[in-house]
Order: sequence, then structure tokens, then C-alpha cells
Amino acid sequence: MNELLKKEIESVFKDVLIADYGDNRATITIKNEQILPVLRFLNDKGFDHLALLSAVDWIEQKEFELVYILTRYMQGDEEHTDKEKLHLIVKTRISRQRPQLETATAIFPNAEPYEREIHELFGITFEGHKRLTPLLLERDYEIPPFRKDFDTREYVKDAFDKIPFIRNEKE
Amino acid sequence: MDRNQITKWLKEPAKMANKYSLHAIYFCTGCGIIEVPPVITARWDAERFGVIPVATPRQANLFLITGYVSVKTLRPIIRTYEQMYEPKYTVGFGSCPINGGMYWDSYNTIKHLDKYIPIDGWIAGCMPRPEAIFIAVTHLWTLIDKGMANGHVRYRENYEFYRRNQEMALGKLDWPPLYQIDSKSEEAKRE
Repeated sequence: MNELLKKEIESVFKDVLIADYGDNRATITIKNEQILPVLRFLNDKGFDHLALLSAVDWIEQKEFELVYILTRYMQGDEEHTDKEKLHLIVKTRISRQRPQLETATAIFPNAEPYEREIHELFGITFEGHKRLTPLLLERDYEIPPFRKDFDTREYVKDAFDKIPFIRNEKE
Repeated sequence: MDRNQITKWLKEPAKMANKYSLHAIYFCTGCGIIEVPPVITARWDAERFGVIPVATPRQANLFLITGYVSVKTLRPIIRTYEQMYEPKYTVGFGSCPINGGMYWDSYNTIKHLDKYIPIDGWIAGCMPRPEAIFIAVTHLWTLIDKGMANGHVRYRENYEFYRRNQEMALGKLDWPPLYQIDSKSEEAKRE
């Protein structure tokens, strides 16, 4: 990662942890109240593409981790002379008891379906999101199914194995 | 045409015509559909066996369910099956429709498809080779000859049970029953 960008991020934001993984990958770990300022700052720096937004359930630490992968479309052109294909992985953690975070749709409009998916599968609410409606699932689940405490085998026993086989009455 | 089959043709021409012109509905579920394009095109050429894909269920009489069935896909599968003409034949393709396969403990996959619609034959494997489809088709010919490919008959006879299972999996269905459900006989059967 570019030293200049690294110093700039460290000077602007407090409590930020930057780790390099090779030439073109770096993680930025921050507190959850700073996530929108960081994303806006990086967007202004030219990281204009949110490639992925996903969530991890750290059940032992009672936290959810949200992972934003940012990259840019214009790589190595005249404007961006650093010529590195950099993927920035922005990570933040939120409490499992109160899974809430501000939406990133104002900065990256394509975060909308990602946030709907995470809302449905992990039960994380994104404040300010205009359309947190069901996206993929058909059935209702008491615990969102991608959480670690969702017991798939118990669920399958309850929901699908109870349905009886069809026996032909004549036989 | 095989000379040995002339008596069969004279006896039951409609059945023989059905048997040798299976129109498969081009319905894709899961990953097994990747095997179907080579099967119907020049490399394996399913038309040698009289199998041809058609666009709509109203023209089809063979239903290949190719791969895992998610809960959301079960709804169009039932609707498609109910729209097809009789006699209609269903073949489950791959191990996932049989018993869930690798998705046996998935929160969102239907495990046993024959609980919801009748199945005439299974092709096991993950994935089955394209040749397996032709073996299945020739087996299906034998079954049709013997009158054992009677899924649509079983569906009509046990419709209330199929409908009950469908409602257990999907909640309330938003289309009317295909056959009339006689509530008295249903109670009598349960007792």
C-alpha cells in the first residue's frame, strides 16, 4: 500500500489499524462510528467502487464484523500514477446484542442489495436504508439463518423431515 | 421402426407415439441444467431418442428437474407440473432432488422432491453424465410400455396429500387446487 495514503488516513482518523498484505491488498480496521467518514474519505480518494459488502458472525466475541471491499475502476491511468491495483478491505465490528449500523447507500448506491441480503441473512439493521424488504428467502426464520447459533439440522428436522412421504393408498 | 413393435403400434398407437416423442420442458433448477445444452445439441443429440426441448409447459410431457430445489423454486415447479398435459412424466436429475444430496441439512432446500410432486424415475449422481439422460429415457420407455410411469395418475389419486405437503412447505398456496378435493374421503382416509 502507498505510504502517502497510509499516513493520510492515520492523520485524519483516530483508532485506525492498517495492515498490508502484499502489494495490492490492505485492511483498514476502524470503530463502527467512523465507518461512514472513512468510506466517504476513501471515495473522495478515488476508491469509487464497492466490490463487496459482507458480514461475519464472531459468536464467541459477541460481535458482527462487516467487511467492505473497495477498489477503483480507473487503475494505473494518467490520473492515478501510483499504478497499483489496490483492494482496500475496510473492517468494522458491531455488537451482537444491538446489530445496527448506518447505511452506506448514500456513498455507494450499489450497497443496497448487499445490505438487504445482510439484513435478511444476519439480521443486521441498516439505519437510513429505504428498502429493507425480503430479498432471497421464502420462509420465516426465528433466527436469521446465517448466524452461527442457527441450528440447521434442528431446523431441517422441524421443517422438512416432518412432512410425510406419499403412500399410494391402493398398494 | 422396429418390426417387432408393429403389434404394439397397432394396439396402442397413442401410447407409442407419446413414448417416442418426449417433449422436455426447458426448466432450469440448480446446477444440473449445465448438462442439458450438450444433450440437446449436436454432440449428444437428444433428438435421436425423440427428446426435444420446448419452451412452455403446455407443449411438454417430460419434466426434468435438474439439480437442487430451493424452497422458492418449488412453487414454479408445482405450477409448471400442473400446467403440463397428461400423460406427463417427471425425472429427477442428480442426487439433490432425491434426498437433498450435499444440501441435506440446508435451511432452504427441499430434500425429497417426491413428497411434493410424483416422480417417475431418478437419475442418481452428482453430476450425472449426459449419457445417463439417454439411459433414463430408454428406461422410461420400458416403464411407459409396462404402464408403470403413472405419476400423473398417482397425482390425481393422492392429490389431497400432495396438496397438504405443498402447503406444509410453502405456506398458503395462491392458486386453486388442480383437482377437486373431496373433504369427506380425505377424513375417511385419515381415520
